Amino acid sequence: MPDGKTLSAEEFVVQMKGITKVYPNGVAANQGVDFNLRRGEIHALMGENGAGKSTLMKMLFGLEQPTSGEIIVNGEKLELTSPSVAIAHGIGMVHQHFMLVPSLSVAENMVLGMVPRKSGIFIDRAKAIEITREYSEKFNLKVEPEAKVVDIPVGMKQKVEILKALVRGARILIMDEPTAVLTSQETAELFVELKNLKNQGYTIVFISHKLNEIMEITDRLTIMRNGRSMGVYNTCDVTKEDISRLMVGRDVVLSVQKDKAVPGDTVLKIRDLEYVNEWHKKMLDKVSFDVRKGEILGIAGVEGNGQKELVDMLFNFNVPNSGTVTVNGVNILGMPQRKIRELGVSLVPEDRMLYGIAAGASIEENVISDRASEKHLNNGPLFNMKAIHEEADRLIKEYTVLCKSRSQHVGMLSGGNIQKVVVAREFSNDPVLILADQPTRGIDVGATEFIRKKLVELSRSGIAVLLVSADLNEVMELSDSLIVMHNGQIAAYFEDTAGLTDEIMGEYMLGLKKQTEEEVRRACHD
Amino acid sequence: MTKRRQMRFTIIRSLVAILIALLVATILIFISAAGATFQDKLEATREALKQMLAGPLFRFSKKSGTAFEAKRLADILAAMIPTIFTGLSVCVMFSANQFNLGAEGGIMLGAFITAMAAIYMPLFAGLHPLVAVLLGGAVVAVVMLLPALLKTKLNVSEMVCSLMLNYIIMYVIKFLMNTYLADKSRGQIMSYAFRETANIPPIINNSVFSGAKLTWGFVIAILAVILCGLFMYRSRWGYAIRMIGINQDFAKYSGMKVGGVIVLSQLLGGFLAGAGGGIEMLGRYTNFSWSALPGYGWTGITIAILAGNNPYMVPLAAFFMAYLSKGCDLMATYAKVPAQLIDIVQGVIFLFFAAEQFLSGYRQKLVVKSAQEEIEMAKAQKEGI
Ligand SMILES: Nc1ncnc2c1ncn2[C@@H]1O[C@H](COP(=O)(O)OP(=O)(O)O)[C@@H](O)[C@H]1O
Ligand SMILES: [Mg+2]
Repeated sequence: MPDGKTLSAEEFVVQMKGITKVYPNGVAANQGVDFNLRRGEIHALMGENGAGKSTLMKMLFGLEQPTSGEIIVNGEKLELTSPSVAIAHGIGMVHQHFMLVPSLSVAENMVLGMVPRKSGIFIDRAKAIEITREYSEKFNLKVEPEAKVVDIPVGMKQKVEILKALVRGARILIMDEPTAVLTSQETAELFVELKNLKNQGYTIVFISHKLNEIMEITDRLTIMRNGRSMGVYNTCDVTKEDISRLMVGRDVVLSVQKDKAVPGDTVLKIRDLEYVNEWHKKMLDKVSFDVRKGEILGIAGVEGNGQKELVDMLFNFNVPNSGTVTVNGVNILGMPQRKIRELGVSLVPEDRMLYGIAAGASIEENVISDRASEKHLNNGPLFNMKAIHEEADRLIKEYTVLCKSRSQHVGMLSGGNIQKVVVAREFSNDPVLILADQPTRGIDVGATEFIRKKLVELSRSGIAVLLVSADLNEVMELSDSLIVMHNGQIAAYFEDTAGLTDEIMGEYMLGLKKQTEEEVRRACHD
Repeated sequence: MTKRRQMRFTIIRSLVAILIALLVATILIFISAAGATFQDKLEATREALKQMLAGPLFRFSKKSGTAFEAKRLADILAAMIPTIFTGLSVCVMFSANQFNLGAEGGIMLGAFITAMAAIYMPLFAGLHPLVAVLLGGAVVAVVMLLPALLKTKLNVSEMVCSLMLNYIIMYVIKFLMNTYLADKSRGQIMSYAFRETANIPPIINNSVFSGAKLTWGFVIAILAVILCGLFMYRSRWGYAIRMIGINQDFAKYSGMKVGGVIVLSQLLGGFLAGAGGGIEMLGRYTNFSWSALPGYGWTGITIAILAGNNPYMVPLAAFFMAYLSKGCDLMATYAKVPAQLIDIVQGVIFLFFAAEQFLSGYRQKLVVKSAQEEIEMAKAQKEGI
């Protein structure tokens, strides 16, 4: 039941009316969106990736200007030409990607741009630290004022961002996908803090596409789809299924059907991998396991427990201190990426913008990057353009990449479609082993489902798949067998994922439980 | 946004940039123009502008009126020969995201080596210029290994390294000329004369073409443009260079030989600059007498940026620069305006091209219109069904 009609305008701290935003690249990210906020509520803004949530909020924060429509804050119609105007009207934003200076301390970051000065030029450090302490205590957001931002965990960075907004006098706090980067404990902490802020009369916009979170802490929610608002609802009036239907316009199949795996020979064989990082922390500790033909081996675990380091070793972005890694019997440690690829290894990288694509190049140029030198795409010294066009068109079609043409720049696509470009390339080069690192993180439900189905299909055709994912639902759903990593070690190996529950997984992930060495050894199949 | 609309935008942007630059130039000319009264100054400015804008193609005289000057056009085309080569050189190097500024020293070294080959290597006509120019290009390519390898192996800034290299090259050449190679019978420092066999002849042997030194070098330059374009956009190596330029981590992850390709791009850039120097030398001169960096390399950087690192756009940008330069020369000669003004005009035009957000408001309008049309179209389609 959409509401808001019976309320008078005074009850809204923010009203956005008929907002349309067209970006310079022609993307109509918002089309006639209405959005309003009641004083002191936690309001969820929901929608698939690319629905236009960040865009709408950037306009409220003055980072982008609407092409048409009006914004009324506290009853006053405003031209939010820059963030400083928004801040002056009590609006603060914590971005999806943090905007802190890593080399400065927490306190320095807090006061950046509003520096308390002792003698004109120099920052008054003592004052900055004092302010940080004061706010930290007042809002019960624990940070270490003197620590450098590079050295603090993600959860604390986020607190610094929130405090930054509060110090600048924000009464309305926009949080853009705040939980995307947090562990489950950090998320729980954040929720306590947000409720605390709400009780003190702050208004919070909470962008997310995680249904559980929304149900837990929000009062109302606005759902966006394809740049349009699908309505405003009281959270208590709708079910998760309703929301999911409104977000994607159909009931999402959240489970993937798959036949039982028939594992074949070992493809990837890892033995006693050890790695100590530059801060002398042991990130990989005697890691040994195999991945066999035709199976999906999942690696679960809270982020930062060695998964990233492991994948880095497998694609030579780093070398371990000791241990061996072979693919079909060939040692790949220290091998150039080109050679690793020639052995039939594909990688869907965790950081798709950094490694997965060249944003300024076309879709076509992106899908051929690993095969540009191959015979079938070349005619002597020149490219066989016809073959390349055909290849690109075929992949765009097969992987349903939503785009204007193959010559469109990849950087202009939405997150889900960018990831489809990456998987189109990585899945289509006849791999024997696919390393899928967080393959569906932060992308829309449609693309997620597509990629998951593809992974299952490929494994059933005899390809070995190593799936690393922080999404518990995903690893449990897709994996045939499963490894849990904790503190750089394999904390548990499950031959079969049937019967596994979140609780069991949680205990191993958080280090409350650990299997014996023999049990873990079962991950090696020799 | 449709291709046509994008094209229209690009053209309008270029024209407005040039217009604004000219406006600024006009004001400066007016200020520096000779004349006691406002009337005089205005008249002088008018004359100067006429020379600058139309002078490169027309001759104005009181007696016979305005007439098209083929010689001047041929001069401009001839002046494009070295800058097309340096423009291409910079395009190739910058495409790999390597800010190698060595085209300047490269063209001087190429010219020098070619000159030496033209003097001291006895070969027959036809083969002689070919060998001399290839040798010039090859030597510069090898020299470019220095910044390229320092960058890829030790991560030394290629910009600083290549910049310094220019001066090292210049002084080494000066030293060699002064102490060993100069023809001591001449009044100034210059080499012995090239052998006749090394000459690159004019395309047509008449007073216009030979007078302007419009040699076969021009045809070779245009061929080089086409080859470079094919290389950059239609070959796996050019593709690798461009991808590395856009995102080096992506290229590495995709399995490209990043270090090797970067070195290749610098080698090729060096070769183009060197060969350009050689062709310029054999077409225009009969002995080597350059005693300072010729400036073609710097112009090449401007050209590459104007051309957006696209080899096919290089001749256009080179023509524009040569036309402007000729116009300013004429203005200095006939209208008594300092030739340095060209630097200012160049700077202003450059600024407008470089500033990405320039005219973004207008662009935004076009984009909005496009998107609205698309939305309408989608609607209409839906309703139609
Ligand atoms: N700066 C930008 N320039 C051009 N297009 C953009 C820009 N930011 C976002 N977009 C596009 O606008 C659409 C909506 O993006 P966004 O607001 O980030 O969505 P969400 O936050 O809901 O995932 C997407 O298609 C995206 O590609
Ligand atoms: Mg977003």
